This record gives sequence, C-alpha cells and structure tokens, in this order.
Amino acid sequence: MLHHPNPDFFQLDVTVNGELIQRDIPTHIRLLDFLREELGLTGSKEVCGEGECGACTVILNGQTVNSCLILAVEVHGGYIITIEGLADTSELTAMQKSFEDHHAVQCGYCIPGMVLTGEKLLERIPHPTRDEIKYELSGNICRCTGYHKIVDAIEKAGDGE
Amino acid sequence: MKFYQPTSMREFIDLNASLADQSVTLLAGGTDLIPRYERGLPMPDHLIDLKKLSDLYQINTMDDSIHIGAMTTIQTLVENQIIQNEFSAIQMAAHDFAGAQIRHRGTIGGNIVNASPAGDLLPGLYAFGAVLNLIGPDGERQLPIQNFIIGPGQTSLKTGEILVSISLNRSPVKSTFQKVGLRQSMAISVVNLAFVFAKETDEYQHLKITCGSVAPTVVALDKLTSTILDGSSTPQDWPLLIDADISPIDDIRATAKYRKQVTLNLVRAFLKGHLDG
Repeated sequence: MLHHPNPDFFQLDVTVNGELIQRDIPTHIRLLDFLREELGLTGSKEVCGEGECGACTVILNGQTVNSCLILAVEVHGGYIITIEGLADTSELTAMQKSFEDHHAVQCGYCIPGMVLTGEKLLERIPHPTRDEIKYELSGNICRCTGYHKIVDAIEKAGDGE
Repeated sequence: MKFYQPTSMREFIDLNASLADQSVTLLAGGTDLIPRYERGLPMPDHLIDLKKLSDLYQINTMDDSIHIGAMTTIQTLVENQIIQNEFSAIQMAAHDFAGAQIRHRGTIGGNIVNASPAGDLLPGLYAFGAVLNLIGPDGERQLPIQNFIIGPGQTSLKTGEILVSISLNRSPVKSTFQKVGLRQSMAISVVNLAFVFAKETDEYQHLKITCGSVAPTVVALDKLTSTILDGSSTPQDWPLLIDADISPIDDIRATAKYRKQVTLNLVRAFLKGHLDG
C-alpha cells in the first residue's frame, strides 16, 4: 500500500468485471489496493509487490498485467477483468474446471493469476504446446505445486478436456 | 500528488512547461517506477502519465529506417515483423524480457530513460546505432543512444524534455542477443550482449558487439571488433582486448570476475560460430 503525505484526489471511471465504477480516489493508490480495499475484490493477491510473482494479475484492456505495478488512476477509462469476473461462482470456466480436475491448486494464492494468464493464452493460442504454456507463465510464480499440474491444467483446458 | 493524462503532444508540452521548476515525474509503463515508490522513493507533486499520447505509440517504417515510438511496449517489439526480421537482437531481448505481464506494460522508452546498466533492450539498440528523437521547450534534437545515457540511471534528458521515438537504420546485417541471468525469466541480467554483423565466406564486413552489465553503461567492444575486422588480432589476443573495454563490478547478482569470464566465453562462442546468428 502506497502512502502520500498530501493526498490528492481524482475522479476515476473504470469498468470492472462489466460494471462501470466511478470513484473519487487518492491519486497515489495502486490498482491492486483499489480492487482489494475499495471494491472488496480480494481474488487478486499481493505477494511480492514488485511485479515478480504474478499473484496480482488482472486483465486490463485485454492483456494480463500486474495490478501492483499500476496506479489506479492510470486505468481511467479502461476495462478490467479480475478472477471474480471470469465466471459466477456457480459455473466455472473450462480453465477453472481444468485446474480443479488436475489438482493444480495447493495453497491457492497464485491461482487467480495462473488462471487469468491461462485464459488469455488460450484466447491467442487455442492449443498451446507445453513450452508455450511455460513461456506465458514465466511471470507467475507458484511455490507449492512445482508447476507440472498447472501446465497440465492449461494444456488440457486447451484440448477441451 | 496531482495526476495528469494529456491526450496530445501540444497539451503535454504546455503542461510540462507550466510545471517547470516543480517536482514532476513522467510515467511510461510504470513497471520500474511504481515498485520504487513502494520501496520508499518519494512520490512527486505532479505525475504526468504518457499513456494517452497516441503519437508516442507510432511505428513508422521507411525504406531505409524505422522509427519506434517511445511508448511502444516490449510485447509490440516481440511481435513486430520488421523488428523480428531485421533487428533480431532487439526482438530476442524483448522476447526474453521479464514476464508476459511486464512485457504488456513496459516500454522501449522507459527501458532507455531508466538507463539501467543491465537494461536488456540497450545492447541491441547500441549495436544498431539507435538515434533518439527528443522534444522539449527548446525544440527537437537527436542524440545517439550512447550520448544520451551517461551513467547508471543518468541521462542527458533536460528539464521539460521527453523521448519521443527511437530511429534505427535498416540494412542487410544479421544480429543475435545473448543474456545470462540467474534464471531464464524475470531475472536482471548478469551479462547481456548483442552481436550485429555481416559476414561472407569467413570474413566479417561488419561486426559490432555491445555488452551490458559490465560497466556503468552499455559498452561496445570496439577494440576487439576493430582488430578482428582488420585481421590484426588472433584468438589469444581476445581476452585482453575485451578487458580493455569492460569494467564490471561485484554486486548481489555476480562477481566482476564471473562477469568477465562469461563475457569472454559468450564472445568466443559467437566468433567460433557456436551461437546462433
């Protein structure tokens, strides 16, 4: 969480998970803190806070980004999808289902980022190779699973299994 | 902290001029700047975000040159066909740059103005003789990249000035990029090298080798390459010729001795044809 001795405010318009949000926010807060603290969307996690781990990944204007490396004001006029916006909780996406089926989740902290990265990869490359999956996941760190099951889950989601 | 998102160069220049002598920071991709604030760097009174300046995203291709807008993202460099075909060293550096999320956000201009000795795009840009196009209160000027970056984190950017684009000459040379880090991705380079060359039969007609993380700025191994081009050196001479141009230091990522050895090994492997290119 960033702090500023003389906070200033900005009228932010941003579409989050399909809903237009208008808030007067301090200019210095990060997108991650805006999502978690202001909107209560706690699916995006903070682990490293410097763009190394990908746990805070969200989709901004169609691309995966680290929400800890972006000020909330920068996304004025933009479109954001967080893990909460991917599907309603009663109906998982094929990717989420595949993570479940392949037991790709242990502690779960990295998983929102992994799932969003996997979703965007399949949009671009519907049947990625394992190397393509690993390359795309290079900005997402998991300290539990050893990655094999995560790669399996994304691969099989691409196969439509 | 006041936040601004100008939408035209005119608006930006007037705004920047009106804030002269105040605490102003320009924000490009933010992938380096925002975590520095998180680590305690004081935030400025005025932050000007460049992301709505469409002029800075243009890539203009001419017959003999390409002009890359400063806000072009690393991901765009990975995908651009001309960069892929004619400036492989830059494309390869962009491909291996951090992770996907940072490639989507980080910019070529940010990588240059950051002036990190380890900046991965820099060796390729030096080796291709990149010229930077700047605009400021006194008008436009052009500077070769090696005259712009003057030390770690230091550039000759003047108050109120901005990097607009990067110009590269197109020519039928080949190139390649090599990076050694502590892991494949998300790793700051221990050594990074670009090789730009033209070679027919066994002779180089053109050879430029540039090297990052071994000196305060990227350096060109000109003492080595000039003697290879005129045939006055043999492989036994190479270590001393490389040593003459680099001045690595010990830091948390590697020792100076290791950096020297890796540089020598990579240059030797390239010259013996063991590296792609």
